Amino acid sequence: MLGFMDYIQRAFYDATHWNIDNSYGSLTATAQNLLDFDTPRGLRLNVSSLASPQMGTSYAVGTVGLVDGSISYLYSSLPLSKSSKSTEIQLEEVIQGYRHLQDLRTPDQSWWWERWQGGRRTDRKNTLMYGRMFLPRGTLEALYLRRISPTRQLRLSCVSDSALNNGGTVLGLVQNDHGKYCTEYLYSTDSGLCGIRGLYNFGPDPRIAAQDQESDDMREPVHGRFSAGAELYYGILNKSGGASLGLRFTTLPQHAGFPYTMTLTLNPLMGNLSSTYAVKAGRNLALCSRFNFNFYSYESDFQLGCELWRRQVPNDADIAWAKNKIRPEWIDGSASPTDDVSGVLKARVDQDWRIGLLWEGRFKEMLFTLGGLIDLKRRERIVGAIGVEFQYSS
Amino acid sequence: MAFNFNWSPLIADTTRAKDMLTAALNKSPKPPIIVDDIIVTELNLGSIPPELEILEIGDLAEDRFRGIFKMSYTGDAFLTLKTRVQANPLNTYLSTKPSFASPQPLAAASSLTIPLSITLSDFRLSGFVILVFSRQKGLTLVFRNDPLESLKVSSTFDSIPFVRDYLQKEIEGQLRVLFMEDLPAILHRLSLRLFVPDYQEMEEQHAPAIRGANTVDPLYNPAQDPIDNAGNALDEGDLAGWSLDSAETHASFSNKNILRLAALAESQKTLSLFTPSIQGAVFRAWAGAAERAESSGLQSPTLTRSALSRVQSTLSTTSLSAPSISEGSDTGTTASRPSISGASSIYSGLGLGGGRSRNSNRKRKKRVINLRKDKTDDCTTPETPITPLATPSSAPALSQDDDLSLTLRPVHRNVHFNAKPTSLDVFDNQGPSRQTSTPSHEDSTPTYTQAPVPFAPQVLHHPKPTTSSRTPLLQTTSLDRYPSSSSPTLLASPSIAEVSMSNLASTGGILEQAWMMKMAKEIARKVAEERERSRSPDEGSARPPLRRAGDGKAVQAAWDRERKRSDEGASEAPPAYVA
Repeated sequence: MLGFMDYIQRAFYDATHWNIDNSYGSLTATAQNLLDFDTPRGLRLNVSSLASPQMGTSYAVGTVGLVDGSISYLYSSLPLSKSSKSTEIQLEEVIQGYRHLQDLRTPDQSWWWERWQGGRRTDRKNTLMYGRMFLPRGTLEALYLRRISPTRQLRLSCVSDSALNNGGTVLGLVQNDHGKYCTEYLYSTDSGLCGIRGLYNFGPDPRIAAQDQESDDMREPVHGRFSAGAELYYGILNKSGGASLGLRFTTLPQHAGFPYTMTLTLNPLMGNLSSTYAVKAGRNLALCSRFNFNFYSYESDFQLGCELWRRQVPNDADIAWAKNKIRPEWIDGSASPTDDVSGVLKARVDQDWRIGLLWEGRFKEMLFTLGGLIDLKRRERIVGAIGVEFQYSS
Repeated sequence: MAFNFNWSPLIADTTRAKDMLTAALNKSPKPPIIVDDIIVTELNLGSIPPELEILEIGDLAEDRFRGIFKMSYTGDAFLTLKTRVQANPLNTYLSTKPSFASPQPLAAASSLTIPLSITLSDFRLSGFVILVFSRQKGLTLVFRNDPLESLKVSSTFDSIPFVRDYLQKEIEGQLRVLFMEDLPAILHRLSLRLFVPDYQEMEEQHAPAIRGANTVDPLYNPAQDPIDNAGNALDEGDLAGWSLDSAETHASFSNKNILRLAALAESQKTLSLFTPSIQGAVFRAWAGAAERAESSGLQSPTLTRSALSRVQSTLSTTSLSAPSISEGSDTGTTASRPSISGASSIYSGLGLGGGRSRNSNRKRKKRVINLRKDKTDDCTTPETPITPLATPSSAPALSQDDDLSLTLRPVHRNVHFNAKPTSLDVFDNQGPSRQTSTPSHEDSTPTYTQAPVPFAPQVLHHPKPTTSSRTPLLQTTSLDRYPSSSSPTLLASPSIAEVSMSNLASTGGILEQAWMMKMAKEIARKVAEERERSRSPDEGSARPPLRRAGDGKAVQAAWDRERKRSDEGASEAPPAYVA
């Protein structure tokens, strides 16, 4: 489940029309959501509030043996209209599951953002700032996010921690999203790591499609999207590098059958090959599998995961008498569940019978996450880390 | 002096060493590049032993050793390690970084673990090794400098020069740490494990000093094979009834009792300011202290200072520490006067005690034999024949004091050796110490200088008859003197130190005691008969101390509540002595 601050960040992305799915980094987002979910440890409590549309605070207290916590503040220059109350937050927006990709969105024209007043330009670039202090350790996290242009975004994330070399690290990331393709350049002060990432979407270019709108009817609708990307890293100080290639095919909403996503990533340097296949088998069910193989060391592993959504059955007992009286034959229709989600169960298992379970939902006015790890191979301690996390926001 | 280093048994069994090495390697947090346990698969110490050059021996005894070596090794030992390493540098890099500011690569950081086997061979070591061995504390080995000169690292990645160089560099660094930090710890544990039965025994006995001489302290342990005054064996039922509570007899002292006695003596000590100092009289407080010092081996600072260091200072100008062992060895060579050699060993112990008591109990621990400076030591040795003269002063003093200084001690001897006269004789060596010490407590110097000097001539006469029978024994036990002489350092164990705090008449010291007991045991059989015949009245005199002890016990019972009574007991003491 997304934390409150992540949720607000997503709201900022939405408000600034930034497509987080159109990035090489999120190529395997579906598989990661279904297979690599984090299970909470211990007891954790988050209290958050979006006091004004531009300012948010969040406090967290947790205990895993010893008590720790964090304080975080967020400022956004763009007023965020997303509802922040934990009673009103849509679970689909905070629970990360199968990512059903939408059609590519045409990037905003830069002049759309211009705002003139009295012959002078008054618009400002939207900025989000976020800071988080972990209390016992004194670790400080900071994030600076700036929409430089409709197709460009700057992201600076910093961590200050005495345990780190040089006392901290800064990561700068410039992202360009042109819809059809996306490029990212990053630099990390730690060991001078430079990186470049790119993603190219095959198929119609959304920018051109937007221009000749009238010809849209002539073409047959696109059912899927094929994307290819690559990343390359090089650490200047430690003179080491890394690279990977990735392919993805995913169905679009126009697809008639089950939505599914297939990815294939390859690390040519390390000989690692990873393929995932995820399918949304029903409205409430998604399945995913992943197979890793290393053709240098012949190591392989296999993981399976699923998520099951539980929808609320509408509680219309108060109007049932009226229905029964007026339209008795409507009984079937009224029993069908609504779109409101009451909870999601996620499970994963790998070839070593390590099982991860996660139950996310809403309890009273709080969002909760309950999870644990089970290792069937270890007889002496089958149940591993178990945790509960509560989130309350207003 | 010769040392015998046996290399071959070390080669034989390396499994345990392998296990411990494996444990040690996996204990410390490993660098992220190592993703599996490090397993030592092969360990061979090779057939060529390291060359050791002895630079200095600081302490030498049967159960202890302390020395500095120069070590050089060019042998054929090798060591094979097996582990798995993370071959992706990006993976290891990211695993140590906070995820918040990590670039979160999609697949570039995927892991590739590679089994790695590393063979370390062609060790070239040279360095200075400080080796400290003690039977209770095990073996401590410290490298004074970085001993690793070079080694050859061969691994799975030898074909890749970059990796090979990297591994060579890393492993050399790790080995330096291993030699400087881990290896001493491993060896220490290994030695402790080897000596663990001894170690446990030690802890049970609480009297490490006596262990060195292979004797049993009757005061700390129930008598091993208890016998009564007539020499009849006692069974345990009788033993149980024998405690200090019964005034008549006590053949055994339990640990608890000895602690009580110590407390009593101490209380008397604290009140001794109010007791008048009477010349020629031994107070019970002093006597108790002397006895306790003898039993526990702890030396009282005040007494030893006065009694011992004075003797030494007057008679010999050599430093306190250096001659002690050299004397012992030299006296062994002076076969002409075995009796004195025995005395000199006592003396060396005394000197030791004196030197030590001058500082804190713990401080003066080592006597340095610098092998390089043999000649200079020889210069000092000529004095040794003189020094024995001083120590014997104690022995004859006893003959004077025999009637006065009857204490509990004869009783223990009875129990132990079944030969009262000799035991008395042996213990009487402490007589002068008591005598000199009592006055010296108030003001040490004036009485002090007088005391030893007049006695010295007597020494020459007296011990000879007794020791004439000893001479062969002395020769045989000459080695045993080393442990006994060294035992003072062991003695500093806190438990005892706590009990017996300050002033115990320490002329004897443990050295003396340990040696005495050894000697007495052997002499007892031979001398017992004639002595018993000649000194039969002493048996009668041996009784009174028992009663006194009973009084002391009674006092002691009340001691916790009121100290006055202990004082009272002290005041009662003189009459008892007279009796």
